[in-house]
Amino acid sequence: MSSLLLALRLGRWGIAGFAALGFISTLVQTLAFYTIAGQTLAQQAAFGATIGTLATHFTAVLPPPIRPETVGGYVEWRGFHALGLIFGVWALASATGMSRVDEERGVIEAALATGASRIELIAARIVAFTIGALLASLAAVAGFVAGVLAHHDTLSSIGVLEELLLLAVLAFCCYSIALFVAQVSSPRTATAAAGIVLLTLFLVNSLSRTFPSLDTVGRLSPFRYYDLNQPLPPGGTFDARSVVVLLAITLLATGAAAAAFARRDLGASLLKVPGLPHATRYDASSAPWWRLPVVRDLYDGRVALIAWTAGMAVLAVVFVSLTKTTIQPLLAVPALLPYFGAIVHGDIFPAVLGFVWFSFAQLLFAGFAITQVARWAADDTDGRLEIVLSQPRSRAGVVVERFVTLAVGAAVVAAVSGVAVFYASRSQGIDLNQQHVIAASLMLVPFALIFASAGAVVTAWQPRAAVGLLGAIAFASYLDTEVGPFLKFPLWVQELSAFRLFGTPLSTGVDGRSLAIMLLIATALIGSSILVMQRRDVGA
Amino acid sequence: MSPSFTAPYMLREMALAAIRTSRLTKDYGSHRGLFDLDLQVSPQEVFGYLGPNGSGKTTTIRLLMGMIRPTGGSAYIFGLDCVRESVEVKRKVGYLPGDVPQFGSLRGGEIVAYLGGMRGGVDKAAVRRLAERFDLDLSRRFREYSTGNKQKLAILLAFMHRPDLLILDEPTSGLDPLNQQEFYTLLREARDDGATIFLSSHVLSEVERVCDRVGIVRAGTLVRVAQLDDLRSDGSASLEQIFLSYFSEQKPKALNP
Repeated sequence: MSSLLLALRLGRWGIAGFAALGFISTLVQTLAFYTIAGQTLAQQAAFGATIGTLATHFTAVLPPPIRPETVGGYVEWRGFHALGLIFGVWALASATGMSRVDEERGVIEAALATGASRIELIAARIVAFTIGALLASLAAVAGFVAGVLAHHDTLSSIGVLEELLLLAVLAFCCYSIALFVAQVSSPRTATAAAGIVLLTLFLVNSLSRTFPSLDTVGRLSPFRYYDLNQPLPPGGTFDARSVVVLLAITLLATGAAAAAFARRDLGASLLKVPGLPHATRYDASSAPWWRLPVVRDLYDGRVALIAWTAGMAVLAVVFVSLTKTTIQPLLAVPALLPYFGAIVHGDIFPAVLGFVWFSFAQLLFAGFAITQVARWAADDTDGRLEIVLSQPRSRAGVVVERFVTLAVGAAVVAAVSGVAVFYASRSQGIDLNQQHVIAASLMLVPFALIFASAGAVVTAWQPRAAVGLLGAIAFASYLDTEVGPFLKFPLWVQELSAFRLFGTPLSTGVDGRSLAIMLLIATALIGSSILVMQRRDVGA
Repeated sequence: MSPSFTAPYMLREMALAAIRTSRLTKDYGSHRGLFDLDLQVSPQEVFGYLGPNGSGKTTTIRLLMGMIRPTGGSAYIFGLDCVRESVEVKRKVGYLPGDVPQFGSLRGGEIVAYLGGMRGGVDKAAVRRLAERFDLDLSRRFREYSTGNKQKLAILLAFMHRPDLLILDEPTSGLDPLNQQEFYTLLREARDDGATIFLSSHVLSEVERVCDRVGIVRAGTLVRVAQLDDLRSDGSASLEQIFLSYFSEQKPKALNP
């Protein structure tokens, strides 16, 4: 029992944060539906048709919606399917945190020293996450229910319960897979390895919607069994067998993870690679980059930077391929041509590519900025900031070096993904404006700087809460741009969103005013973070 | 004393002292922190800073290093203000924090080069000598180091640039007896080379062995400063007895949990 309470305590902020995120996300999407879908059945049908067409652009990420003209169908597509992915990220962080962070900090060792068995300990973590996943899923469906009831609409209580079950089981399944991967990989690579496995499982499922040849492989993905269900819309689907398959994968992975945890050494992986003969050395590294500001930090974070760069480039190529594959058949449907004519000005492929890829790239760059801020926060809590400040360096210098490092890193990732987009488009016969590709890719750098600078202020103020708070800021910024126009937020509030300021540079070029506002916000926040850093206590 | 006499006098005193604090205060509230610390440490002195857990030793050290801001008073190192001139201060200081920072997967030699690079480069011969003395393999990753090896690395980082002042927070924590002896030898050599040493500890035998003078801090207040030789010449007591006399009300608690 004490192991379970400890596990719940360690995960309390994750549970609270994702429950709040789930509740707000579905509530806002539900309220947005009533604002934008119209009041009459005809208006809602037209809205549903538009969403249905729009959804074809996003088949790489989300499954096609069922009855998007209804609140259940719309929120299922916009809210709950995105939440499935977000809860997957939570499961990843939570599962690998146990084997990586908690082991490194001695929490697991201390818990085992109390007499708790390994099986008891891992079971407590699993049960704690399951409780957390159920609570967060409950909050997510509560947001939907609250939105529907606020408009005196009707809903299917069975469908709501099925959605609650599905979301919790998917999160639990992702947790168990990540937990298993973390046992067989080294603590250093646990998060990356589990992340790659979950991302691959997500992609093989989503890509199998476009490429039928991947259908067989896609059956291995838990996301497939989640996507088979859309219980909220009237006449929606709930396939009990798919839930059974999800639970079977979960039990298998959980059992394997528990067995691996029981057999492996703490701080090591189950699978050990024999080490090479080792000669003792007493010399400092003579590599020249350690003396160069910015370069030393880029080198220190090189593995993550290479992973981000390669990952973004691969995704860019995948998105370009999907654009052609998805849009080409739609252009053959005469009924859709007026729709395309109404929303797309100029060549359709660059417009769609610009919309889909750069929307996704913005989310990834927000994630990139958050990972950098997490690193800054860890510098503080792990004592590295204190030892750096014990060298003859000013606090302002440390902050500025962090930002320059981040900007250079973001520029590398943006440039390589931009090159990938350009050449992949060319090979697909999509004619992109070279200047616009460069401008759009480079716009991702000030975009990332906005989140990083907001994160720097939060880190300087409260490092332990920095990642959570910045995640909330990014989410609020995304919601601002998504629902701000429909909920009639004041223009200045809408323009605070980095997602809105980014605009559509691939099709319309860079808006100088938006770029200036982005740079102004980033500069103001960087200045604030320097001021806060100057005045705060470090290591206290 | 006229003001015209006071200012130059104080300036000269500040310039002479390796460390000088005047009514230095860090008030965390609820009577926690450090209060009105007046302290002076002379060049080439080895000063031991004693006190039980939570008495304010680390707070004092972090104030000197400019990591935390005083709520009152001032601190100077070689006449430089620890807040306003902290960059210059740190050029002269080697610092060993109470908690060894976590460097994850960086190798020992990379950590040395990384932090040395912030000082304009590493004295490779000095690093090699120190690493050999402590038999510290710098090709290992930080996460592979034992607790003792992490502490050895922290010692190396503090000593490698031959600073004028060493500020060491419980420096022998985690070291085995052999390496403790090596550390004491290193400390003497540093002092003989002209360095000033300010070390906090609650290992009384260690302080008795290496320090010229001690300060005892209790509940955030400096209660006594004395030459070790003077204490010994009192004929009365060992440092342990003197130390315990200041904490007699705490002793029964410690003995009877």
